[in-house]
Amino acid sequence: MDRFLAFLERLMSIDRRWLYLAVAIAVAVPVLRPIGLPVKVSNETRDFFAQLEALHEGDVILFSFDYEADTNAELDPMSRVIWDYCFSRGIRIVALTLYPGGVGIAENIMNEAAEKYGKEYGVDYVFLGFNADWSGTMLRMGESFRLTYPAEQYGKATTEIPLLDDADKYADVPLLVSIASSSYAEYWAIWAGGKFGQKIVTGNTAVQAVLVYPYYQAGQILGFLGGLKGAAELETLTDLPGDATRGMDSQSTGHGLMVLFILLGNLAYLAQKIRQRRAV
Amino acid sequence: MEGFGIWVGALLTLAIFSFLYRENPIYRFAEHLFVGVSAGYYLVQYCFSALYKKLWVPVVDNGQWLLLGGGVLGALMLFRFHRRTEWISRFAIAFYVAAWSGYVIPSILKAQVLTQVRSTILMPWNTPGLTWWDHLSAALILIGTVSILIYFYFSHEHRGPLKAVSQVGITFLMIGFGASFGYTIMGRITLLIGRFQYLFYDWLKLGSS
Repeated sequence: MDRFLAFLERLMSIDRRWLYLAVAIAVAVPVLRPIGLPVKVSNETRDFFAQLEALHEGDVILFSFDYEADTNAELDPMSRVIWDYCFSRGIRIVALTLYPGGVGIAENIMNEAAEKYGKEYGVDYVFLGFNADWSGTMLRMGESFRLTYPAEQYGKATTEIPLLDDADKYADVPLLVSIASSSYAEYWAIWAGGKFGQKIVTGNTAVQAVLVYPYYQAGQILGFLGGLKGAAELETLTDLPGDATRGMDSQSTGHGLMVLFILLGNLAYLAQKIRQRRAV
Repeated sequence: MEGFGIWVGALLTLAIFSFLYRENPIYRFAEHLFVGVSAGYYLVQYCFSALYKKLWVPVVDNGQWLLLGGGVLGALMLFRFHRRTEWISRFAIAFYVAAWSGYVIPSILKAQVLTQVRSTILMPWNTPGLTWWDHLSAALILIGTVSILIYFYFSHEHRGPLKAVSQVGITFLMIGFGASFGYTIMGRITLLIGRFQYLFYDWLKLGSS
């Protein structure tokens, strides 16, 4: 028993780099050799998908890339599957970003999807770009997309974009999708939802997801995707597996290891206390 | 992003990872490069989006001279950099605070207070079609919200019933923190997965991309 307690106590002083290595192995191995663990779909994702599914061919949605490179591992898979799903069903998209760093990310996702589905810029989708004043942007888009963005990202006048003839304000778009790494998702619900009655679904980083639940529960956000798991769930529902589904095995092994670390850490702490008490 | 770009991204990723072993010059180079490139990128985007697209083009090309008022207010902010002229920037700040408060307060009150309170005190027995789980969930939300609010009530010493209710509140808080921690772990592991997918799939061409 004493030897076991001493072993546990030694864990308290283990070099943290061994822990990093263990996490790296636990995450890297399933990336290389996927296990194929099942993905259980949550109600939040089902509600998100129900809003997408209810759209008809030719509908125009508003899509906001509200994130930058620091969270693209979590949020790119969401954006990618939504653009693929919409383009595969003939749904048109007006895109924008509220982050300066979102421009490059948006271009990557849009160009990839447009090329895959043969979509034409300005007709099937348009990128309004980055606007420095996020709150003013959200409010003014309720009146007119064209007045908010006199020119799209590449300098062309929005009056010359045919897609915006059919969608020039919130009332013209049946759904707003915000993929956000910050509280922008909540602000869309406050400005676009609260003031203009816009239907909103969001995709959020895992850290942010906890803060979105109250809005979802109150019906201000109609559905949301929480972190990589949310993205994997949407990939499952749309039958478009991608990086999120591939990453979920690593997610599971990584979490399992974390739980093990926490249990061992607590046991080691307990062992230390017991040995200290015996020594007195 | 092909070829050279992928190599740069991969080597910079490894440089950042090297910090996990110990602080080193390669890590510091990658960190400083990231900060410098980010600052430059942000500056260009803000100048292009705000100064060029929102001010220069409308004023110079389209003759919307009224927008110069906003430009002047923005320029006043720059007076903050000198102690003697700092007071001039207050005009711009006063305008900004007043305008912001005017359109934020009613919307925030509606979306973050009134709607949230209403959904917290939802009467499940008045809403048809609810399952037993919905009833339980509504009761838990009500109990949790009230007990947490009581936990943060500091005008009386927490003794007797007040202590008991605040103990319930702290239990709910702990569960909330636990859920938040779990999500945080998921977020951080996802970042690592993203880097590994990049290194293995895009750079080394291992596994399936």
